[in-house]
Amino acid sequence: MLRRRWVDALVVVVVVLAFVLAPQAYSNETLLFQMMVYIALSQGVNILYGFTGYLPFGYVGFFGIGAYGASLLMLHLNWPPILALLGGGAIAVLLGLLLSPLLRLSGAYFAIASLAASQAVYLIVSNPALQNVTYGPYGIQLVSQFNPTLSYYVMVVILALTVAVVLYIRRSRFGTALQAMRDDPVSAAMAGVPVVRQRTFAWMISAAIAGLVGGAFAWQTSVFYPDAVFSLSISIFAIVFTLFGGAGTLLGPLFGSVVLYGMYNTIGISDPQYFQLIYGLLIILLVLFLPDGAASLLKRRGSHVL
Amino acid sequence: MKQLRRYLFGLAGVAALLIAGCGSTTSTTTTSTAPKDITIGTLYAGSGSYATSSLPELAGLKFWMNQVNKDGGVFVKAYNKKIPVKLVDYNDQSDPNTAQTLYTQLITQNKVNILVSDFGSVLTSVAVPIAQEHKMVLFDPTGTGASFFTPTNPYIVLTGLPTSAVWPDNLAKYLLAQNYKNIAIVYAENDFDQSQDQTLTTQLKAGGVTPVYNQGVPTTTSNYDVIIHNIAATNPDAVLELGYPNNDIAFLQNLAASGQHFGFLFTIFPGQLFSLLEQNVGAKTLTDTYTYPTPPLLAYNSGVNYGMTISQFTQAFQSANGSAPNFLDIAGYNTGLAIQKTLETAKSLSQLDLRAAAGKIHMFTLDGDFTINSEGAQMGETLPVGQIQASGSGLKTVIIYPTSVATGSAVH
Repeated sequence: MLRRRWVDALVVVVVVLAFVLAPQAYSNETLLFQMMVYIALSQGVNILYGFTGYLPFGYVGFFGIGAYGASLLMLHLNWPPILALLGGGAIAVLLGLLLSPLLRLSGAYFAIASLAASQAVYLIVSNPALQNVTYGPYGIQLVSQFNPTLSYYVMVVILALTVAVVLYIRRSRFGTALQAMRDDPVSAAMAGVPVVRQRTFAWMISAAIAGLVGGAFAWQTSVFYPDAVFSLSISIFAIVFTLFGGAGTLLGPLFGSVVLYGMYNTIGISDPQYFQLIYGLLIILLVLFLPDGAASLLKRRGSHVL
Repeated sequence: MKQLRRYLFGLAGVAALLIAGCGSTTSTTTTSTAPKDITIGTLYAGSGSYATSSLPELAGLKFWMNQVNKDGGVFVKAYNKKIPVKLVDYNDQSDPNTAQTLYTQLITQNKVNILVSDFGSVLTSVAVPIAQEHKMVLFDPTGTGASFFTPTNPYIVLTGLPTSAVWPDNLAKYLLAQNYKNIAIVYAENDFDQSQDQTLTTQLKAGGVTPVYNQGVPTTTSNYDVIIHNIAATNPDAVLELGYPNNDIAFLQNLAASGQHFGFLFTIFPGQLFSLLEQNVGAKTLTDTYTYPTPPLLAYNSGVNYGMTISQFTQAFQSANGSAPNFLDIAGYNTGLAIQKTLETAKSLSQLDLRAAAGKIHMFTLDGDFTINSEGAQMGETLPVGQIQASGSGLKTVIIYPTSVATGSAVH
């Protein structure tokens, strides 16, 4: 038990150190920041999909509402950025609670419904009729709060917390219950697992992560339009990174985000056509031969993947 | 213990990948001696919704660079010599989040001397705080969002069009002068179009006219059938559709198919991307509609005191690229001219000296008068109202307002 705690603490420390030290070796902090964003988001998807089997195509809705929630708290109520960021996370949790009836659906129905919900949130936020509240399609300006260095380190903290939460879920009875529900919800319910409550709780944790990450993203970006934070590509990236690395593990989505986002930034920009080809081939190969992600390669050899 | 070691190796691998995945670092260079070349960094959208506008802008900038390099480079006053220009361009695929990373890449890794933003407000918006943070002047060809230009940001220069809220000044005056009372406006819900709608409605209301229809639609709207019939039901004297090229094309196509006809119809992009609009909606649909004419439709041949005239540019561009230029090609070229003039007059290559030099530029190019205010916003260029009229077997654009620059009168 003690050794497990040490391992968990080491995981968090290594992730934190990697991103604290990375700017010393590589000065494009924006890229490093975005990599953290996708690692955290893929862990958020992981909590939901990896542990409960619910694939949230509309996950970007929580990210976007977190970005807008934090920004509007800074702009309208003059909250300091870190407090506003927590507020953004809380607003995402409230949205999660509001959308929790979607969990009555499953499979493709849930995926489509969550996507529709995120689009609905986007259209509400960008509606010109709400310009006095959300700034509508004019977008957000946080120039007076712009602090890329501090927002970078706040993102490191959010990432560390996210990793710690996923580790907790992996180790706890709660995580075991979630996986039991994913495999067979009826049997889990008969075994005394409060299925609806636990699933809703996982959904809200996942929403909170996306909300906090969205808030940090807004702070770091400081000038953005609604379509930048509600772009479907954010959901797709987070889902693909999770699936590539291996859902239901901690290191899988971490590995997937670092490798694929790194690849995106090395060949995806200069030669997007080759990247899309490689990306497409990777996904086909993954679905055919490694449906449980890269982590399953190690699992097949009997290794335990954290 | 063995398992612990395996975890540690795994984590170290992930950490190493993280560093490797980010690419390699480049060394910092000092500029005490003249640099080998002046590096200009820019982004373009090779795919996605902004590609049709972004690619011509890049082509115009490249054309300028080739012209300058043919002549031995750009004259840099700070070194009293000509230095070749090198372009570093990345494809942001119309994604603002990718653009954010790439702007930082240009500054921190490529260490460009001059930073030029991608087309339009959305892809420029993310560059504004990054440029300010890194104290780099952002040469902005077409990002006209009014919020980019503030007294606290000395690191931006709008090289082309005026800020979008200023665009409809002449249009509002013309509508009031024509005594149109029933005006219908449909606009795409984005910064660029909505700011124009606000200016229009404010100025029309000040003139005693409240639009009978004023409706925003998502920028992604591709079917205006119902909207066109709703507008027709208000019996408008004038209809204004404010959108991006895709909106204008969809609106005009739907209008042609609907059988409806409006006496005065205004759209934005025929004045900038005439060929694209003509190809997609046909000459018949464009005939007698109104637009903001921009070069090359607005032909500045006399009075140009810096760079090529429109005729010279059109000929040279066509022979170099095999196609006639549109406004965005000219916007890219004009950005090159603004950079050239800045380098010719700046005391040093320091960013604040570059900005100070840009602030003092007064020149008349093929894109019109170049003058920026203290916030970096373009003040020299104005957008007149023009009408696309039949001319023999083709079409021509006639400037009808303001009368001081008019080349003809409207055909009703």
